[in-house]
Amino acid sequence: MSPVQWLIKCGAGAAIVLIACGFATARFGGGLQMPATTTRDGTLITLSRFLREPVPDIVMVGSSLTFRLKEEYFATPRLRNLALAGGSPVTGLEIVANQPQLPMFILVEANVLSRSSDTALVERYSRSDSEPWFFRPVRAAVAAYEQRLHAPLTHEQVALNLLRLVEQPPSDFDSRVYADRALQQFNAEAPADATRINAKRIGELIQRVEQRGARVLLFELPYSEPIEGSQFARITRQIIHAQFPDQERWLRIDVNRSELRWADGVHLDERSAVILSRSINETFQKFLGPT
Amino acid sequence: MTFTSWQFGVFVAIVFAVYYLPALKAFQVQLLVLASLFFYGYGQPELLALLAAAVFGTYVFLVLALRDRRVWLPVGIAFNLALLAFFKYKLLFIDPAAPSLVDFAPLDFLLKLPLPIGISFFVFHNISLLVDLTRQKAATPTLTSVFLYIIFFPQLVSGPITRAEMFMPQIRPKYFADIPFVEAAKWVLIGFFFKLYVANNLNEMTSYMSFPLYETLQTQDRWLLVFLYSYQIYADFFGYSAIAIGLGLLFGYRLPINFNLPYISTSFSEFWTRWHISLSTWLRTYLYIPLGGNRRGVWRTYLNLMIVMGLGGLWHGAGFGYLMWGLLHGLMLVLERPLLARLASIDSAVLRAARMTLVFVCVTMLWIFFKLPNFEHAVGYLSGMFTPSTNPNPTKLFYSLALLYSLPVLMQHFAPRSLSEGNLRHVEPYLYGLMAALMYLEAGPETSFIYFQF
Repeated sequence: MSPVQWLIKCGAGAAIVLIACGFATARFGGGLQMPATTTRDGTLITLSRFLREPVPDIVMVGSSLTFRLKEEYFATPRLRNLALAGGSPVTGLEIVANQPQLPMFILVEANVLSRSSDTALVERYSRSDSEPWFFRPVRAAVAAYEQRLHAPLTHEQVALNLLRLVEQPPSDFDSRVYADRALQQFNAEAPADATRINAKRIGELIQRVEQRGARVLLFELPYSEPIEGSQFARITRQIIHAQFPDQERWLRIDVNRSELRWADGVHLDERSAVILSRSINETFQKFLGPT
Repeated sequence: MTFTSWQFGVFVAIVFAVYYLPALKAFQVQLLVLASLFFYGYGQPELLALLAAAVFGTYVFLVLALRDRRVWLPVGIAFNLALLAFFKYKLLFIDPAAPSLVDFAPLDFLLKLPLPIGISFFVFHNISLLVDLTRQKAATPTLTSVFLYIIFFPQLVSGPITRAEMFMPQIRPKYFADIPFVEAAKWVLIGFFFKLYVANNLNEMTSYMSFPLYETLQTQDRWLLVFLYSYQIYADFFGYSAIAIGLGLLFGYRLPINFNLPYISTSFSEFWTRWHISLSTWLRTYLYIPLGGNRRGVWRTYLNLMIVMGLGGLWHGAGFGYLMWGLLHGLMLVLERPLLARLASIDSAVLRAARMTLVFVCVTMLWIFFKLPNFEHAVGYLSGMFTPSTNPNPTKLFYSLALLYSLPVLMQHFAPRSLSEGNLRHVEPYLYGLMAALMYLEAGPETSFIYFQF
């Protein structure tokens, strides 16, 4: 085989695979739910689904704290949780604000406001032509396999298990090592400048989406007691409440704090996340009626 | 400029197009030197002067050592080792974030310079140049040839560490018709495939080995990730070396093979003839043999092995973890040495498989010190591998993805040789085409080559 023949065959091999993947993408769509190797990827799947499916009634945006409130914990199927683990609520709010149609309610987490918006992500999920030309064949195959084994759960499928989980006593997992480390970090951070900028940006975005008919509510997820008193939490709370003093702007979350536990003082454990989600759900059933 | 950036693709295309122009045939070496300086200065222009000073200094010592080897060779080697020690180990003694480190401004400037990329590699090239050419009593090479040998861009940042006696004779006019296109394409394609498809995708998972993320892992996932990191570091470094060899061939230079299926080794000494071959060859030639090798009795041989491997560990970085990694490899070499002859006399496939498994598991466990150079973190990770996890929200890993992204490494090591030498030869170009498509479609998130930090 001459070098030219070898190179032509090699190019042909590559072209065949690319064309096959291009056809498959055109046929099935680029938004296939690829499996996540990281929690961040999991959010990107939800973002893709948010763009592809009909506009939901409620959208939540936030950080890794809100990410723990899984969609299947909520009785309403018309809720999307676009919280970004390691990200900023502003990113999610920008993406939602850039969509042609808006949900009825947008819930914005106000715990972590020191991170700036991810402009690349906002751009990627705000363009209508963001569908890729080719899907990733290996991940698509794994996605098909995983979805066959573990199809995404609906609230109805997990409701009984959630009920059992909530009926159990709170976890006695000793998270002191993680909580101490988190407290140290929360006391070391000085978030004032960045939080002020983001609070102002949230105000601008709220004005923009509410002019188009959506309603925005802010909410704060509870931390463990020591973290509540940390420098980071105090400064953030002070700034965001000064920016939005109207109590009507805030979503009330009624839960018994003694029932809550945190994996690391900051992030709720599964049982507590379910309790929180139920509380939010009950509030919204009043607005939305039976689903 | 990394090998996986589009800028690098454009750079190589331009240099390649100009390199073989008949009008510029007389300036091929100069062109490659200029291109290599541009490549190095693209990321760290402030360090170009340092690179030039290192090469020029070595050249001066080479000229002097060719006249009087006994005096000037040690001085030239000391000059290079001092350069390496200064930049690599200064952070053990200073805080670069401090506003002023010393009152003397030029020294303050030098102390605040970042670690020059590839310094460990080009310093070893310099030493090889000094030793090889003075031993051969060769004629004084031109300054341009010396520059090309040391800073040839495919090998400048992470090797392979090419010995001067192998590279220098290759410096002569190159012709387009002599390019082994298929061989070069195979090296470049397999290199990019291993880096983009295997290493970058596995890196997404092994990032959970970092502190404190590893505390979220279940015990069995800690084990899994160590093995995935073993595949990742191989794919990453093999990928880089393969691209370097392929690019070298495009410009008419044959660089040494750096890897030869290291994970099928049945002993630690065999492993070091298959892993980072150019480094182990360098250490054997310029350190182990001058120390006496195995010619001065059993105990001195053991001591030499420990010294060479300890220094080999420290060559990677100024950390206790790297030293431990090197010393533990040295210890393995010492422990197996008395048994090797007896084991070699037993012809048993089962024993061979058991030895292969043992060596692979030990080598893999020792990579923890590479992934976590902070010794406390490494010990924390290791101890977590032997205690049950209590985290109620462990990180979820997809085992199917882990297998599919590791598969090329496993296939390369364990697929029967007869397949690639027999019927599969006809489909070989298509397989390389498949790899080209997959490295585009399935590329993992961009990460720099692991060995760039050394």
